[in-house]
Amino acid sequence: MIKKIGKALVVGGGISGIRAALDLAEFGYGVTLIDKASHLGGILAQLDYQFPTNNCGMCKMLPLIDRDSSSQYCLRRGLFHENIDILLSTQLASVEGEPGKFQVTLDQKSNPVDPSLCVGCGKCIQVCPVELPNCFNEGLSTRKAIYLPLPHAIPNSYRIDGNVCTLCGACVEVCPTDAVKLVDEGRKKFSILIVDDELIVRDSLKEWLEIEGGFAVEMAQSGQEALERLKEKKFRLMLLDIKMPGMDGVETLQKAKEILPDLHVVMMTAYATVETAVEAMKIGAMDYLIKPFDPDVLIPKIVKIYEELNVSAGLTLEVGAIVLSPGNSYFNPADGKDTLGYGKNPDVITGLEFERILSAAGPYEGRLVRPSDGRPIKKMAWIQCVGSRDFQTNADFCSNICCMYAIKEAMKAKERAQNAGYELDAAIFYMDMRTFGKSFQRYKDLAERCGVRFTRGRIHSVLPDKESGNLVVRHASYSGKISKDAFDMIVLAAGQRPALCTSDIAEMTGIELNSSGFPSTRPFSMSGTNQNGIVVAGTFAGLKDISESVTQAGAAALLASRVIHASGGGLALESGPAPIYADVSRENPQVMVVICSCNMASGLSEPEKLAENIKADPCVKHVLFTDRICTTSGWENLVEMVKKHHPNRLLIGACLPYLYARNLKALGEEVGINPRLMDVVDIHTPGFSDVDSQDPEYFRSMTETTLKMSIAKLKYADCASSVHAENSVFQQALIVGGGIAGMSAALAIADHGFKVDIVEHEKELGGNLRWLETTIEEHDIPSFLADTIAKVEKHPMIKVHTQSTVIASAGQVGQFFTAIEENEAPAVINLEHGVVILATGGAEAVTTSYGYGKNKKIITQKELAQKVNADELDIRSIKTLVMIQCVDSREEPRNYCSRVCCASSIKSALQFKKENPEIAIYVFYRDMMTYGFMESYFTEARKAGVIFIPYTINKKPVVTNENDSIFITAFEPIISQEIKIEPDMLVLGTGIIPTLPPSLAQTFGIALDQDGFFQEAESKWRPVDSLKEGVFACGLAHSPRNIPEAIATAEAAAQRALRILGHEYIPAGRISSTVRSSLCSLCERCIDTCPYGARTLNEDGKKVLVNSAMCQGCGLCAAVCPNSASVIEGYPMEQMLEMIDAAIL
Amino acid sequence: MASNLKIDVQDKDLLVTLREFFRLILEQEDISAIFVSQRLPMKNTIMPALVTDSKTLDRTDPLAPAFPINGAKLLSRLTRKSSGEKIAAVLRPCEIRAFTELLKLKQGKTDDLIIIGIDCLGAFRNTDYFRFVEKNPERSTELFIDSVLSGKGTTAGGIDLAPACKACEFPIAPNNADISIGLIGIDVKNQVLIEARTSAGEEICKKLNLSETKKTAERKTAVDNLVAQRIEYRDKMFAETRDTVDNLEKLTAYLAGCINCYNCRVACPVCYCKECVFVTDVFYHEPSQYLHWAKRKGILKMPSDTLFYHITRLAHSSMACVGCGQCSNACPNEISVMELFRTVAEKTQSAFGYEAGRSLDEPPPLSVFEKDEFLEVAQT
Repeated sequence: MIKKIGKALVVGGGISGIRAALDLAEFGYGVTLIDKASHLGGILAQLDYQFPTNNCGMCKMLPLIDRDSSSQYCLRRGLFHENIDILLSTQLASVEGEPGKFQVTLDQKSNPVDPSLCVGCGKCIQVCPVELPNCFNEGLSTRKAIYLPLPHAIPNSYRIDGNVCTLCGACVEVCPTDAVKLVDEGRKKFSILIVDDELIVRDSLKEWLEIEGGFAVEMAQSGQEALERLKEKKFRLMLLDIKMPGMDGVETLQKAKEILPDLHVVMMTAYATVETAVEAMKIGAMDYLIKPFDPDVLIPKIVKIYEELNVSAGLTLEVGAIVLSPGNSYFNPADGKDTLGYGKNPDVITGLEFERILSAAGPYEGRLVRPSDGRPIKKMAWIQCVGSRDFQTNADFCSNICCMYAIKEAMKAKERAQNAGYELDAAIFYMDMRTFGKSFQRYKDLAERCGVRFTRGRIHSVLPDKESGNLVVRHASYSGKISKDAFDMIVLAAGQRPALCTSDIAEMTGIELNSSGFPSTRPFSMSGTNQNGIVVAGTFAGLKDISESVTQAGAAALLASRVIHASGGGLALESGPAPIYADVSRENPQVMVVICSCNMASGLSEPEKLAENIKADPCVKHVLFTDRICTTSGWENLVEMVKKHHPNRLLIGACLPYLYARNLKALGEEVGINPRLMDVVDIHTPGFSDVDSQDPEYFRSMTETTLKMSIAKLKYADCASSVHAENSVFQQALIVGGGIAGMSAALAIADHGFKVDIVEHEKELGGNLRWLETTIEEHDIPSFLADTIAKVEKHPMIKVHTQSTVIASAGQVGQFFTAIEENEAPAVINLEHGVVILATGGAEAVTTSYGYGKNKKIITQKELAQKVNADELDIRSIKTLVMIQCVDSREEPRNYCSRVCCASSIKSALQFKKENPEIAIYVFYRDMMTYGFMESYFTEARKAGVIFIPYTINKKPVVTNENDSIFITAFEPIISQEIKIEPDMLVLGTGIIPTLPPSLAQTFGIALDQDGFFQEAESKWRPVDSLKEGVFACGLAHSPRNIPEAIATAEAAAQRALRILGHEYIPAGRISSTVRSSLCSLCERCIDTCPYGARTLNEDGKKVLVNSAMCQGCGLCAAVCPNSASVIEGYPMEQMLEMIDAAIL
Repeated sequence: MASNLKIDVQDKDLLVTLREFFRLILEQEDISAIFVSQRLPMKNTIMPALVTDSKTLDRTDPLAPAFPINGAKLLSRLTRKSSGEKIAAVLRPCEIRAFTELLKLKQGKTDDLIIIGIDCLGAFRNTDYFRFVEKNPERSTELFIDSVLSGKGTTAGGIDLAPACKACEFPIAPNNADISIGLIGIDVKNQVLIEARTSAGEEICKKLNLSETKKTAERKTAVDNLVAQRIEYRDKMFAETRDTVDNLEKLTAYLAGCINCYNCRVACPVCYCKECVFVTDVFYHEPSQYLHWAKRKGILKMPSDTLFYHITRLAHSSMACVGCGQCSNACPNEISVMELFRTVAEKTQSAFGYEAGRSLDEPPPLSVFEKDEFLEVAQT
């Protein structure tokens, strides 16, 4: 048993919640992960493709270290981790207590379909009479009241949507395993009192609720009688008529509440007395029903009340910290004026709806066709900023992700069209293309080269062309010229809105919300809220793309972990001794084959023949048939069979093999068979692979082949219960760079009780923050920096080495040896550490563009900041100021956005305007990158009279020097004329370059990207990891970022590091590669090929070594090795050959 | 950077001149030995040898039309680790190219090695060579050289070059030879072209005080013509071979004579495994397995796994195949192994824009991960 001490609650199981939960679980805490949906994955469950790979990659979040503690299959299908309790269909109900010791109550919805009995046959769907829009496909297809919420989830059992179910019972009758319990036992205990003076009303209600609803119903004909009944029995719900002779409903309600304060009352009213009913709600009625009643409406309503009341039978937990990641919601373009025709025209859809159209599991199986008439889409448009950057919808913010997903969708749509043999005309109408992330600008350029059209402008309206049915977009250019363009389909980038549960959660937890209704975070933090121990992650605090969500989730996990640690929460105790399995290595294989026949009854005509053919292999001792192995009773049958026959290997032929991992483990412990010698193989899918074939012979041969392959696999399965050497961890961290990122990471790790060395080449800590004064939000940077430096310097676990550089490093995760040189008093110090975080920072790029260096009036943003800080600038004396954005940026060779320059210019502009309202400020920009809530400052600047003039890369402003004056000549698109400005000062936004020396990267064996920033293992899913385990990066060395964003990467990197530091040993995975040195020719191809850097040559160059903690068992080394000197343990070549033999013959 | 130098031919005797050149190299202070083909006293056999005594160089014969073994494999043994002393090796172009492949596989080192390439005039099949020397016991090499370099052709007494040589489009040493000896298109009665291709080559040549010369148009024309002729032969060979093996049945027939002797593998310079997987337990099947297979189809050809063996070798080695033809030379049952390998290698190598032996800077394609390659494969 694992006893979990430190516990955390993660609310919301989208990718942020999963990341935070995994981070905390990998460190060793117990985590409860809840989601109100019946599956994990959040919105990502609906998104099949992510840029820049245009594929999915969610599984890359799964643990790489101690990976056997977790499931290792598609994460979109589900997740299992030893330290994570996953509670689905569950919501947060209440939060009490204090940081380190919160008492939380959870509401879990019950499911009438018993997942342990449901075999997923789908017969219930065929008979269910209720059909409604399928929310998984964003309403583009339909589903039944009984349905699979997520087509690909594992395990996947049906659910009933209680809100629409008519309780007709058709599914109950047809279910072959009696899995559907429409009327649950709880309802019989849920006593309802019906109070009405009319007999016919009482009787019909009693009949409906008792027979169809399954509730316990009693009746009273007057208020007086009702009160008497209430004294006798504790009713849960009273349906109370308003207009009754004698004591009326309202009076009865008042008195009833005195008798039973917890009684829930629903008023029954005729239309005429609705107002009274509303009044009654003020004195304690929960709802009202209007007569006459329709049973199809009434029963579900009562069921809903029952469910809502019954769930709060709720689960109570004590947790140290809470991570809130329940996601967000989206603007509904049909709200408001809706000039774009969403909701009126089926071919105007949202981005999310288009993701479903692209999906192979979507409404049109991935074909690019119009919802209205199924015609192939030849020409389509994306309209950006619908419900974002829009005062009319109260959205003074940017939604962050829409520009990039629109580009991705356009690229993907073009690819689809190309596969279908035609060229799609794809146009994106945008205000600013906000390509502010790493690699985004290059992705946009690629889209442009692929022919995606980018047109600047806000679309006023979309009107259908009556004849063609096409959608006509009217748009105005800068110069005011109106043009029209017709499209087959329009995709709207619907803006972000807070999650529906945000206000409830805010009320429960006391976290503050910003003016747009999103949770607000503490200054300089992306995850911390005003409530210590309650942190936010993912899109809950504003939309984020995957990489930012994953980063911030890591930061949130760190903050949560810090609180748990500070409050004395230890880690989970290690599990008990490993189970002992019988040693069968010297026995001949004796395979017992158990075939589950429930799904093959129709297809299999001669089971004896199948059994006989399989038994031809002398290793097969028993072939047995049984059914419903996936149910509890079926499994118990199987366990009995195993106990009776004592095989040393077990093969189960059934459907959905994923279901059995835990069962097999438990069975192994019970009967002493190593789970490696047991296998479950899917005989259902191959048998039915040819759906048109009803040929039993085909079915039998497919089943036989499948089983024989698995028999071959089991025969040669590695039966030695060997455990790989564990790799010890030197529980100490090295951080290179003492800027804000490095210091934040150091504090994060040190606060968990691990020693940290910071190596900083400057004399002082602080990096770029030393020349920054305030943020755009006007947070005070110097005091924050001083505070942080004081914490670092005082921390007993942190040692700072200033004026020091790394000169050499060797080793691998858990055991690094690094030599640093202290320059002041030259000395070499050797440090041993288990992980390293590179936080070497960045600097403002130097430039020679726009006449920089030729006139002292031309300065950079940093120089401006320094002048302002040093009070060298008399702002009142400046009449005209020009700023040019994107200097040498967002074009090759420095083709990326530096994220901070636009905000920086706006910050200065606002400051100057405040001090000198007369000043004229012109900002020349390509796309203003005021993403997220920064947009409001852009708005403010425009209101303050700052003039923003767009330019394009082909038509840049030109700076000329005349005597001592400078002139800027540029094209002004609104007036369509060239303008000439003579400013007193020209400020250039040159952007950020990394200062991560390639030699340092090489020292630690990691790669840099083409711009010299840290190359992530995976830009979206593993944003702070390098491919080399144990080496992480954060801050500007990672990518251009503002301060809170840089700190978030530092916290995320620290959390990744803590996963390793938290353990004395890193357990190796069960599937790991080894080298048979006697066969090895030392060609080192496996070393070059290993993507995880797990292979090295030993000191004397005579042996290839494998670090079993870094090895992920991917098998590339085995594939590249010509003579199997490199092998994956447990997958001998004989086994593979025999499996292939079984498959092809 | 290559410098073009020359040595004068003494008494119009090319072999003697070359021997003298090798002697000068061996006598360099820092060179301890020279690896070069020798005419052995017995049976006129030609074999590579590691020569330390310059007096024995009078039996050196690098141009004899005999190619009993690809020297790359032997050179790998000599350079696998540092011996602490430097050696020079005189190699045919295909030997250098094979050695380049072995270098990429870490099976040799060049730290203490000077590679001397020599224009290859081709060689006969092993058996043909013995017939040839029997007919011409005296001055057989000189006869062959004269015939080839004077343009009279490669055929001597009805014996022609091995098919591998006829299809070889690389008669000139590749660029990573430190020194290259040029003969084709050169007036070899008077001089031999010496190219110092690397700084190590330059250094040696400087010590030898060779006089400079210029590359002539004649050489270029002669080489180009020869290569064109070879390519013509090669492409015809590709076409014919493809026709012969374009389905599994035909391929089985093509390899029908295989007896699993594995000679081709032993002869292959780029088959570098310490122990081939085909001689391990993996292919040492249970007796019941053979019966099981026989029963399934009523017949099992023995030895089994011959086709599998060749396909595996194609998979493992065709990317590194330099076309030296030793596999065919080694086959006791006259299977045209070289033709099959080169035909397949042409496809596998060109799929990755790779050419075995071309440059040390080109990593073996299977060791390189390219995110966006063969997208058409992913899509199907």
